[in-house]
Amino acid sequence: MTVTEQEITDYVARVRAALADLPAAQRDELTEDLPDHLAEVAAEAEGTLIERLGEPETYAAELRAAAGAPAGGRNLDQRVASAVVRARRRLRVLDTRLGPPLGYETASDFLRLLRPGWWVLRGYLAAMLVTVLSTGGSFGLLPRFGGELLAGLIMLIGFLLVSIWIGRRSPRLSRWPRWALHAGSLVLVVFALASLIQAEDRMRYGDYGYDPISVDDPYERVRDVFVYDSEGRLVENARLFDQNGDPIRLGYPDCADLADAYGGKPVLRAYPYCPDQAPFGPRAPGAPVPTVESVPDPTGLPQADPNPGPTSTPTSTPPATPTGTPTAAPNPTATR
Amino acid sequence: MDTTQLLKGVLDLAVLAVLREEDGYGYDILRRLREAGLEEVGDASVYGTLRRLFAAGLLTTYVVPSESGPHRKYYALNAAGRDQLTRSGKLWRSFATTMDSLLDDQGRAA
Repeated sequence: MTVTEQEITDYVARVRAALADLPAAQRDELTEDLPDHLAEVAAEAEGTLIERLGEPETYAAELRAAAGAPAGGRNLDQRVASAVVRARRRLRVLDTRLGPPLGYETASDFLRLLRPGWWVLRGYLAAMLVTVLSTGGSFGLLPRFGGELLAGLIMLIGFLLVSIWIGRRSPRLSRWPRWALHAGSLVLVVFALASLIQAEDRMRYGDYGYDPISVDDPYERVRDVFVYDSEGRLVENARLFDQNGDPIRLGYPDCADLADAYGGKPVLRAYPYCPDQAPFGPRAPGAPVPTVESVPDPTGLPQADPNPGPTSTPTSTPPATPTGTPTAAPNPTATR
Repeated sequence: MDTTQLLKGVLDLAVLAVLREEDGYGYDILRRLREAGLEEVGDASVYGTLRRLFAAGLLTTYVVPSESGPHRKYYALNAAGRDQLTRSGKLWRSFATTMDSLLDDQGRAA
C-alpha cells in the first residue's frame, strides 16, 4: 500500500475545508466515512490519492453535487482555494517546461541549488539594512554599525551565520515563523531593489555616495591681509610665519603697480599687498586725520620694522612717501 | 451534452441497480459501474450518492473485516431501497422510451 495514513488524513482535511460552507452536521455526515472509504480506495490500486482521485477540492465539488448538498455559490475561501490550486498547477507545468533549457529536470531543481546562495545574500542584505537604519542615509558596499566598520563586519558575520542556520531549518518551521520569515525576506528584497536603483543613479551621475562636503581652501577668497596693531593702526610690511618659520602666503597682489619692485616675485612681498584697500581707517580721536593714510608704499623691505614702533619716527619709514602716516601715529600716544 | 451530465440524474438508479444483485463496498460499487459501461463516473459521485441514499433510509450498511487491508463498509438494499429501485426503474423506462421515440421521429424527419 503506497498511501499513508497521513496522506488520507490530509486529503480528508482538504475535502472538509472545501465543504466548509455547509452546515456542520451535513458536512460531518458527508465526510464521516470518508477516511475509511479512502483507505479502501488506497488498498485497491497503486499511486497517490491525488493521482487517482484528483485534487481534494475537485473531489469535494463532485461529492457535494452527488450528495445533493446545496451546491450554493462557492464562498470566497473556496474560490481563493481553487484559484490557488489552478495557479499551482500552472506553476508546475511552467516548472517542468523551464527545466530542460536550464539543463535540469525542472526549474525548481535548479533554483534549489541556489538556495544557500540566497541565504548568504539574505544575511548581507540584513546587515546592510541595519547599516542604513543605524547610520542613516548614505552607505557604501560594506556594512557599518552606527558608522563603525569593524562592528559592521562583526554584525555581517553574525547575520550570515544566522541566515544560513535559519535557511537549513526553514523546512521544519511551523506556519507562523515561516510566514514571518517570508515577510522578512520580502522586505529585504524590496530594500535590495531600492538600494540597487539608488546606487545605479549615483554611479551614473558620478558621485558615489559622498555628500557634497566642501574641501575647498577656506582662505581661497582671501586676496590680501591687513594687520592692525593694538592701537588700531595698520601695520605695514607685515609678514606671517607658521610655527616652523615658514612664511604663510595668502592672497595675491592685485596692485600690479608695485609688483616690479620685488623683481616680479610676489612671494617676497609683505602684507598688505595693497595698503590703500585697507578695510578700516585709523582711529582718529582728536586730530583731523587724513583718510588716505596708507599711502606709504612698502618700497624698502628692510624698513618694514620701524613701522610697528613708529611713534616718533615718521620720517625714517618713508624715504619717498612722507604724507599721512606720521601725523596719525603721534595722535594715540598723545591721548593716552 | 456529455455522459457526466446525464449521470447526475440517474446515478441513484444506477447505484441501486448495482446493489440489487449483490451487496458491495464503495470502491467495489464504483468498479461495477465502470465495468457496466459508466466509465466516466467518479469516486466522489459514488461515495456521495451512497451517503445520500443511506441518509434517505434506502440502504443499510455493515462492516466486514478484511485480512489484508482496511475494513470494508458494505452497502445493501433494504425494503425501501428495493421499492425505490422499482419505482425509479419504471420511471426511467418510460422516460427512455419517450426519448427513444422522440429521437426516432427526429431521425425519420431528418
